[in-house]
Amino acid sequence: MSGNGAVWGRVRGRLRAFPERLAACRAEAAAYGRCVQASTAPGGRLTKDLCVQEFKALRSCFAAAVVRVLPSGTLCYFNVPFFTEGQDDPKGRPLGWTSLHYVCVCCPQP
Amino acid sequence: MRLLYRGEMLRLGVLCLWRRRPLVFGVPAKNLGLRKVASGVSPPGSTSPRALNIFDRDLKRKQKNWAARQPEPMKFDYLKEEVGSRIADRVYDIARKFSLALDVGCGRGYIAQHLNKETVGKFFQVDIAENALKNTLEMEIPTVSVLADEEFLPFRENTFDLVVSSLSLHWVNDLPRALEQIHYVLKPDGVFIGAMFGGDTLYELRCSLQLAETEREGGFSPHVSPFTAVNDLGHLLGRAGFNTLTVDTDEIQVNYPGMFELMEDLQGMGESNCAWNRKALLHRDTMLAAAAVYGEMYGNEDGSVPATYQIYYMIGWKYHDSQAQPAERGSATVSFGELGKINNLMSQEKKSQ
Repeated sequence: MSGNGAVWGRVRGRLRAFPERLAACRAEAAAYGRCVQASTAPGGRLTKDLCVQEFKALRSCFAAAVVRVLPSGTLCYFNVPFFTEGQDDPKGRPLGWTSLHYVCVCCPQP
Repeated sequence: MRLLYRGEMLRLGVLCLWRRRPLVFGVPAKNLGLRKVASGVSPPGSTSPRALNIFDRDLKRKQKNWAARQPEPMKFDYLKEEVGSRIADRVYDIARKFSLALDVGCGRGYIAQHLNKETVGKFFQVDIAENALKNTLEMEIPTVSVLADEEFLPFRENTFDLVVSSLSLHWVNDLPRALEQIHYVLKPDGVFIGAMFGGDTLYELRCSLQLAETEREGGFSPHVSPFTAVNDLGHLLGRAGFNTLTVDTDEIQVNYPGMFELMEDLQGMGESNCAWNRKALLHRDTMLAAAAVYGEMYGNEDGSVPATYQIYYMIGWKYHDSQAQPAERGSATVSFGELGKINNLMSQEKKSQ
């Protein structure tokens, strides 16, 4: 440990935000957990990168989940997506997302 | 390569922060291997000649010192308080007054605060962490705090009427030797009441980390320290010389919001990993994967996760002539085959008395 411990403090700060960021990605975490649990059933074998797709989804959600704690104690999640309405194609099927925005949703801390 | 951290213990022992390069500090040669401490206690029986060195006792002392110096140590005390009160219950169950008692690995004195002066005359508190002895809880029994290791008790033979130990023997390297030392310092007809973590403790954490590490990294290493099995406890106590053994088991389940909070609480209790064979690094990806697996495999409906603490309570007595002896061979008056008619036999005996 050197100096004023600034690097250490930053690393620990990031680690302290892990629980909130994980809470923002419950669906992906549950999907990954189900995949790993399925491999523990009789006849299954858990090998490296067996559930890599689910983990990639979880990882990207986790990385996008930036949580800031405002001075008043409320938590701000920066990864809540919403999309603008898409136009339908000539056959009437929706074209899906036309643009993806991220909005900051500030919820009071439970 | 062994890693030791200088200064205060800022690293979570059970999980380790991700770093680009592992930190390596010089390991003074005198700290490797067993500590040689001159102690007045020499156990009569011999333990294994091969030196057992599973845990880094120096690091454990640092971890306990750090935990005791936290701004809010009572935040993490819930488990030890609960087990301490259950041990105090067992002390009350024995209808005796103990003039001199010893608490091995006392922490902040979780057992002594539940006992009163009528039961125990004087209490000796022994721990390896000086900060824990400095911040003891309020208690009415006069106490003497001694800074000593559980394996090297600095007391003479036949000193104590009662020895208690709550949730600290799972970090000693040579458990047979520690139990023999406890037997040595007990007076004849003295009693030892102890509580230790059992094999099922934190199995959810162990399994989640194991599965996540296998899936993410292709292999796994132990992160939860090995606990004693209940059969082994009986053998160990018998080998140490204790009589009339009683071992019973109890499970406490505590719910946490997630895996990270559980690990933070374990660190706050001073229960971080200090085994020599611990892996120094736990990747962030593995931590994340383990938290996801933990929540999915063991989570409750409301999103919290349970953690199981299995506690073994053991009671052993030092031999004394006044204790109940097994009957002489050939002195049986009734055969086992008549066990079905035991009610008749008992009433006949009462009539004849």
